[in-house]
Amino acid sequence: MKWMAGGLLLFGILALPPIRHAFEQTMAGHMLLQIPLLVLSGVWIGWGLPAGKRKALQAMNGYGLTGLALVVITALFWMLPRHLDASLEGTAYEIGKFLSLPLLVGIPLQLSWRRLTAIGRGLVWSNLIAMLWVLSWLYLSAPVRVCNNYRIDEQALVGQILLLLGFVIATALTVRAFIPSRPAGVAARPLSPSPDPALRKT
Amino acid sequence: MMSHANESGNTQPAQPLVNIYVGVSAVVLLLMMIVGLVMRLAQGEMLDISPGFFYQLLTVHGAGMVGIAALGSAAIMWYFASRYLDLSRTLFVANLLLFLVGVVMILGSILGGGFAAGWTFLYPLPAKGMGLWGTGAAALFLGGLLLIGTGFLILHLDFARAITRQYGSLGQGLGWPQLFGRDSGEAPPPTVVASTMVTIVNILGITAGAAILVMSLVNLYVPSFTIDPLLAKNLIYFFGHVFINATIYMAIIAVYEILPLYAKRPWKPNKAFLAAWTASTIMVLIVYPHHLLMDFAMPTWMMVMGQVISYTSGLPVLVVTTFGALMLIYRSGMRWDVTSSLLVLSVFGWAAGVIPAIVDATIRVNMVMHNTLWVPGHFHFYLLIGVASMLFGFMHFLGKESVEQEDRWFARWAFWGFMFGSLGFVFMFLYSGANSVPRRFAEHLPQWVPYDQIASAFVAVVVTSVLVFALQFLARLFATRPVALATEVN
Repeated sequence: MKWMAGGLLLFGILALPPIRHAFEQTMAGHMLLQIPLLVLSGVWIGWGLPAGKRKALQAMNGYGLTGLALVVITALFWMLPRHLDASLEGTAYEIGKFLSLPLLVGIPLQLSWRRLTAIGRGLVWSNLIAMLWVLSWLYLSAPVRVCNNYRIDEQALVGQILLLLGFVIATALTVRAFIPSRPAGVAARPLSPSPDPALRKT
Repeated sequence: MMSHANESGNTQPAQPLVNIYVGVSAVVLLLMMIVGLVMRLAQGEMLDISPGFFYQLLTVHGAGMVGIAALGSAAIMWYFASRYLDLSRTLFVANLLLFLVGVVMILGSILGGGFAAGWTFLYPLPAKGMGLWGTGAAALFLGGLLLIGTGFLILHLDFARAITRQYGSLGQGLGWPQLFGRDSGEAPPPTVVASTMVTIVNILGITAGAAILVMSLVNLYVPSFTIDPLLAKNLIYFFGHVFINATIYMAIIAVYEILPLYAKRPWKPNKAFLAAWTASTIMVLIVYPHHLLMDFAMPTWMMVMGQVISYTSGLPVLVVTTFGALMLIYRSGMRWDVTSSLLVLSVFGWAAGVIPAIVDATIRVNMVMHNTLWVPGHFHFYLLIGVASMLFGFMHFLGKESVEQEDRWFARWAFWGFMFGSLGFVFMFLYSGANSVPRRFAEHLPQWVPYDQIASAFVAVVVTSVLVFALQFLARLFATRPVALATEVN
């Protein structure tokens, strides 16, 4: 339950008008702090869901694919700059953002991540890195302001941060792949003998 | 391991899958070689095709050869790595399906849509069809490449998963505990070391490739989003160089696994072997600037790095492999048949092909030679005589009932035809380049035409030989059981 409480507390703090305005003052704060923190609040809430609720939700979430699809579609929606603009200009959009990011991104992400296969998680990471670089290029090379509410220099700053973020994640994952999951010198687990005559080791 | 249950619960033997991979590779390789022959005949004024069609053929030949070299090499790596790693058959099939769909898209864009910007799709050429091709054709080509890249990404992620599961980490897959610590004699087999290296470099390369492909797609439809051409070229050649080099590192596994069966000696990894593969893992990632030596705006340090690393990039693995192969063969009484001959030829092709590559990677030389036929000369050297020989050697091996099985006379003739035809063809490229004949020209000046005609004759011999290899393999698929790997020497 402490995860649930933490998630709700984080959500409540983010919804406080002064905090909300502070984050939304700048494009970097809005895109790279407020939105990820809203997702994080959803992740924590998802962690704290009662076992019965989790089981019911997971019944519809084979291999984590349903949840992942929901995450991707919702994230795509909020990646469009005009929706960021709309959330600053209309209450309904702002409420939609505050509800959809924890409920349709954070919670399904938490429910799905460990259900995805290692390959699925690898694909998500690889795609995320590539897309961070593509978005970075879009923000740096856009001939116009993509959000009417933010200056072009803020847009460029977001582009630079996204580029850096892509490299940081790529480096971190590469380093992670080299950290042994068991001590050196421990022999590899033998494979079971193959009945395939073409490949049987004798 | 091919038959024991893996993640997807598959228990069926996987040899038929590998046969499909190799069969597809053989047929596409042959078709692409015929496309190459048509281009050389056209340059030699023995065939009349329009320049526009020539560039379509150039694009299909480049994209097709890179793709099929990767597919065939992946089959070699998967076939042998399956003995040590719990790989997923489902993902192996998924890669093939994505590849085939990607190929259909690329063929549609080129033959249907007239796309002819070359396999390197250098910005802003895909968006500048000038009436020869439209946005849709360019998007189809880029989308096809993206799909093929996704297939290989899935395959390599599966390797990363399996290596980590079996050995603990990618570092352990490269044999780092044995390299940097006490040599316990329990280093991973050469196949696992090579697979780990390829997995690392290709995942990084494909991720960069995906980024530039999506950027190019955005630019096609929203031209106001421009790309820095030099950034685009860097990303494309990082991806392209890593991807095509990885084909060598995947296919070389055939040498590590099959030659010991013939020599009846094991190929044991030692510290030098492990150090070489680790060194090449790093260097293959940072050597790509040698493709951009003509780009004066590149930072000087990158140019210098491109030249210096070119001298050393392939050498560690090449040296340990060549030396290892020679040591394996020396006084072993090895039986020479088409398989073993092709594999030894492949090591020669790789080793000798690196020499003109290193020459061209020297900045002062590159300023003169870069846009000449010297460049296709060097890469055909180690891709045709190197990688293709490894593929054909593996293909021939797969189709045999045992390594002792005698070759038919036509297979032996095909080997000699392939060897001399390939050498003649490659040396005509190099000789033409040394005489300043430009590359990528649809029409040649009269004084260059004799070179093209001689080269065409050599290509015809190569195509005939490969036709024999391919037909024999396809015929054997339905006639015999595959060779049993009695690998007690390993």
